[in-house]
Amino acid sequence: MQETMVYNEKIGKVIENINKVMIGKEDVATLSLVALLAEGHVLLEDVPGVGKTMLVRTLAKSLDCDFKRIQFTPDLLPSDVTGVSIYNPKEMEFEFRGGPILGNIVLADEINRTSPKTQSALLEGMEEKSVTVDGRTIPLEKPFFVMATQNPIEYEGTYPLPEAQLDRFILKLTMGYPSLQDELEILERTSKEHPIETISPVMTKNELVLIQEEVRNVYIEKNVQQYIVNLVRETRNHDSIFLGVSPRGSIALMKAAKAYAYIKGRDFVLPDDVKYLAPFVLTHRIILTSEAKYDGKTARQIVEQVVKQTFVPIRKDF
Amino acid sequence: MMSKLNKTNIPFIYTSILYLAGLLLFLEWLYPVEEVTDTAFIGIFIIYAFFCFFISLLQVKWWLSFILKGFGIFFILNGLYSTNSFWSKLWIQEFYTDIIYNIESLLARQWFDLSNMFRSLLFLFIIWLMSYLIFYWFVQVKRVMVFSVLTFVYITLLDTFTVYNADWAILRTFIIAFLALGLANVLKEIQKENLQTYRLSAKPLWILPLIMIVLFSSMVGYAAPKLEPQWADPVPYLEGVFNGNGIGGNGVGTVQKVGYGENDSRLGGSFVQDYTPVFQAYMKEDSYFRVESKDYYTGKGWVNSDRGDYVEQANGDITFETFSPNIETEEQHVRLEFDGRAFIPKLIYPYGTKHVVPSNENASFMLDEQSGEIKTQVDDREIVLANYEISFDKPTYPIDLMRKSETPTELDNQYTRVPPSLPDRVGELAAEITSGYDNQYDKVRAIERYFSGNGFVYQISNVAVPSENQDYVDQFLFDTKVGYCDNFSTSMVVMLRTLDIPARWVKGFTSGEKVQDNVNEEGDNLYQVTNANAHSWVEVYFEGVGWVPFEPTQGFNVPNSYSVDTSEEDDVLDAPEVTPPAPEHPEIPEQEAADAFNPSDSSQTKLEFTKVHGIILGVVLLILVGLLIWKRHQLRIYLLERKMQKRKDAATYQDAYHYVLKLLKNKGFQKEPDQTLREYATRIDSWYGSDEMGRLTADYERLIYQNNLSTIVDDELSNLWKNLIKRILG
Repeated sequence: MQETMVYNEKIGKVIENINKVMIGKEDVATLSLVALLAEGHVLLEDVPGVGKTMLVRTLAKSLDCDFKRIQFTPDLLPSDVTGVSIYNPKEMEFEFRGGPILGNIVLADEINRTSPKTQSALLEGMEEKSVTVDGRTIPLEKPFFVMATQNPIEYEGTYPLPEAQLDRFILKLTMGYPSLQDELEILERTSKEHPIETISPVMTKNELVLIQEEVRNVYIEKNVQQYIVNLVRETRNHDSIFLGVSPRGSIALMKAAKAYAYIKGRDFVLPDDVKYLAPFVLTHRIILTSEAKYDGKTARQIVEQVVKQTFVPIRKDF
Repeated sequence: MMSKLNKTNIPFIYTSILYLAGLLLFLEWLYPVEEVTDTAFIGIFIIYAFFCFFISLLQVKWWLSFILKGFGIFFILNGLYSTNSFWSKLWIQEFYTDIIYNIESLLARQWFDLSNMFRSLLFLFIIWLMSYLIFYWFVQVKRVMVFSVLTFVYITLLDTFTVYNADWAILRTFIIAFLALGLANVLKEIQKENLQTYRLSAKPLWILPLIMIVLFSSMVGYAAPKLEPQWADPVPYLEGVFNGNGIGGNGVGTVQKVGYGENDSRLGGSFVQDYTPVFQAYMKEDSYFRVESKDYYTGKGWVNSDRGDYVEQANGDITFETFSPNIETEEQHVRLEFDGRAFIPKLIYPYGTKHVVPSNENASFMLDEQSGEIKTQVDDREIVLANYEISFDKPTYPIDLMRKSETPTELDNQYTRVPPSLPDRVGELAAEITSGYDNQYDKVRAIERYFSGNGFVYQISNVAVPSENQDYVDQFLFDTKVGYCDNFSTSMVVMLRTLDIPARWVKGFTSGEKVQDNVNEEGDNLYQVTNANAHSWVEVYFEGVGWVPFEPTQGFNVPNSYSVDTSEEDDVLDAPEVTPPAPEHPEIPEQEAADAFNPSDSSQTKLEFTKVHGIILGVVLLILVGLLIWKRHQLRIYLLERKMQKRKDAATYQDAYHYVLKLLKNKGFQKEPDQTLREYATRIDSWYGSDEMGRLTADYERLIYQNNLSTIVDDELSNLWKNLIKRILG
C-alpha cells in the first residue's frame, strides 16, 4: 500500500493551501482535486462572486504549473483559444504562437458566453489532449486540466453547452454561498492583504503527473465496478429520465472514485466513494423527461433517488 | 429489489404475539373435535399444533422445518398406532402397508374403510398446513379478519348443531381475535410508515389501551343482559325434515366403523357395518363368545376398576368360571379359525370353557380373573393365534334355582355401584318396572323385557353421544331411546345396579352367520363371525348359580339353555325361548344386527401407555428444539469462532461479519440496502457508543473491496468480533 501512494501527503498540502484562501469550501476543493487527479475537467456552475475563479487560481498557484485564463466573450474566436500562426518576416515563415489552451491549468471563465464554435475548440482540446491549428496537431502538455465556469442566471446572449459536450466534464460542481461564520471569516482575512498572495506552490508538475499515474493504479474490486454499472443502468431505466448516462459516464465515475479513494489515503475504492461522487458525476449527464421537469424535479434529486434504489455490494465471491 | 426494501423491521416479539394469537384461534378449531368426534388424542393434536407453529415461527430453513414436522407426524402415528418401536423396520413396513391399503380404499371410494392411522395422518397434515397458512395470514400479510370471522362462524355453527358448548370458546375467540386485529393493524402501520421500532419494543405502553378496550368490551358483553333466542332451535326442525324420525337435539356424533375395540370409556355415536371376517367357528349350535367383562360405569362408558394380575393358565386348562359347578352342563367342542386381518390377541371363548388346544404349542394364556380376559401370548408378546380348539361345558341355567336366589351379599359393591352423577330417575324407572315382582330373577327379566317395547328403537345411525354433563344411560332411557347393543346392555346393567342386583357388562361376539351345515364328520356347522358381530350383553349374578347372561338388545337372543322345574307354576317370564322379543326393525335380520362395541382400532392395546409416553417424549423433544433455538446464537458463535481460528480465511470472516449484521438486524438495526457498510457502522457505533463496529467494518472492507487476500483472521480480529457480539446480545 505504501509504495503505491508515495505522494499522497502532498495532496493534503494542496488542500491545506486551498483552505487558507477558500473558507469553508473544502469539499469543493477536494472534488476539484478529484477531477485533476482523474485527468478530467471540472465545470463550475454558480452565480458570480462566490469564488469560482479564486478557487482555480489557488489550485494553480499551489501546484507549480502553468496557469492560463480565458475570459469567454461572444466575439472570441477559436484561434484566440488555440493560438495562431503568424508570419515572421525575419525568418520568412509562419510561426505558431500558442493560445491559452496550451497551459497546464486553464480557467475557462463563463464558457457559455461564447459561440459554439469557440466552445468546441476548447472542448476538443479537453477530450483529445491536443489542438489542431492550420492542419497541425499540437499535443498538449501534461498535466492538462480545465476548469470551466458558467453562470446559470443570465441567459441573454449565452450559448448553453449541449449535453454531448457537458459529458466531457468529469464533474460538475457548484460553490454555493458561504455560511454566516465563513463569510465573516472571509471579511476578516481579506481586510488587509488577499490570502492568495501568501501561498506558495507545494507540488511540482512532475509530481502531479506521477500522482495521476498512481491514481490509475488504485484498485477497484469487481463488486464495486458492478455497483457503478448498476447505478448507471438504473439511470437508463428511470421513469423521470429521458436520456440516461452513457458508458463514458461509468468510466468517469470509476476514475473519479479512484481519485477520491487516493485522496482519502486508500489504494482501493469503496462503495462509499462511488456513492459520494455519483451526484457530481452523473447529474449533468442525464436529461429529465418533460413531465419530471414540469413536476419541478431536478436532476440532482433524481440521481439521489437512483442512488437510494441501488444496493450497495456487501459481499465478495471467494 | 423492491421486495427486499419492503421487508419489515418489526420486532420478533410482536410477530410472535400475533402468531400466537393465530395459534390460539386455531386451537379453538381443534377443541370441539374432541366432543363431536370420537378422537381420544386431541391433546396430541394440540401438542402437534404447538410444535408446528413453533417451528414456523422460527422461520428455519424450509427443509429443516419439513424434516421436523414430518418427523413429528411419524412419531405421533407410531406412538398411537404401532407397537413397534419408532426406529424398527416393522413400523415402516406397517406404515407403508397402511398407506397402500388406504390409497386403494380412496380409489375405490370406500371412505369408511380408511384406517384410523390414515385419518390421523391426514388430520396432522391439515394442522401442518394450517401452521403455514396462519403464518402467511397473520405474520406476512397481517390479515387477521378473515380467519377470525371464520372461527366465529365455525364455533357458532358447532354450538348450534352439535353437542359442543361454545360459551367460553366464543369469549376466548372474541378476546384473542380483537387483540390480534388491533396488534396487526398497529404492525401494518409501522410497516407502512417504515417506523423504527426498537424504541417501541422497550416500553410497549401503546398496547395497553388496546388490551383495556378489548377486555372492557368483552366484560361488558359478557355481563350485559341478552335476549332469549329469537329463533327456535333449528336442529330438531332440520332433523325432522331430513330423517323423519328425529333422535333429539343432542347431536349425531360421528360415524365410525364397528369392530371389537379396547376402549369403552366413551360410548355412543353412529357407525357403519364392517363385514371384515374375524373368525370361523365349527360347532354344533349357536353360542355367544365371551371376551371380557367390565365392572365400572363412569357415566360415559365402561372401564375396569381394577386391572388384576394375570394368571398363567397351565396346559391350556382354563380356570375361569362364570357359573357354579353344581349346575347341569353338556360337554361340547368348538374350533375357531381366525382371519389374518383380525387383531384380537385374546381368547374368544364360549361359556363354560375348560380346555384350549392352540395351534401354536408355545402359546400361553394369561387370565385376568376379574374380567375373564384371557390374553394369548407367545414369549410374553401378545399374538393372535391362527386357530384353536376349545372344549367347554355348556351350562343349563336352572330357572327355579335362580328364582329362589336371594340378592347376594357375598360380593362387595363392585358390581352394584353406579356413578354419583347418575340421575335419580334411572333408579326410579328401574324400581317402577320391577315393582310387581318379588324375586331377583323376575326383576331381571322384567327389565330385560322393558327394552323390547316402550319406544326403544334399534338403530346404528344417528346415535347420540352424551354431552359433557349428560349421562349415557340417562340419555338413552329418557331422551333418545335410539341405540345399539352398548346402549341396551349398559342401561340394563345400570338399572339392575340401582336395585342392588349385581350385574356386569360383557363384550364378545355373537355366533355370527351359519354358512354351512354338517361340514365335518362330527356334524359341526360352520359359522362366520365378522366385525359386525361384535356385541355386548349383560351378566347377572345369582347366588348358587353364578353369572347368567341376559340379552336386552332388540333383535338378539342369548342362546342359553334353561331348565324349568315343571312343578313350579308356569310363568311367562320364565323361558325366553318361548317368547323371544320380536325385532322391532325387521330390516335388520338377527345375525346382521350390529352390535358394536365402541368402535376403535384394534391395535390400540398400548394406547394408555403410549399416549403419556408420547406426550412426555414430545415435550422433551420440544424443549430440546426450543433449547437449541434459544441457544442458537451461542452455538452459531461458537461454530463460527472455531472455524475462524481453524481456517483463518476470508470466506469465514465474511460469514462471521454477516452474522453480526444478522444479529443487529434482529435487534432492529436493519441495514438499508443503499447504505454502505461504513455508514451503517457509524450508526451502530453511535448507538452503542463504541468504535468496534467501525473497526470490524474497516477490516471487512479491506477484505471485500481490496485486492488483498492477506487479510487473515487474527486473534485481535476475532476478539473484536466476539466483543461486538457480546455487546449486541448483551
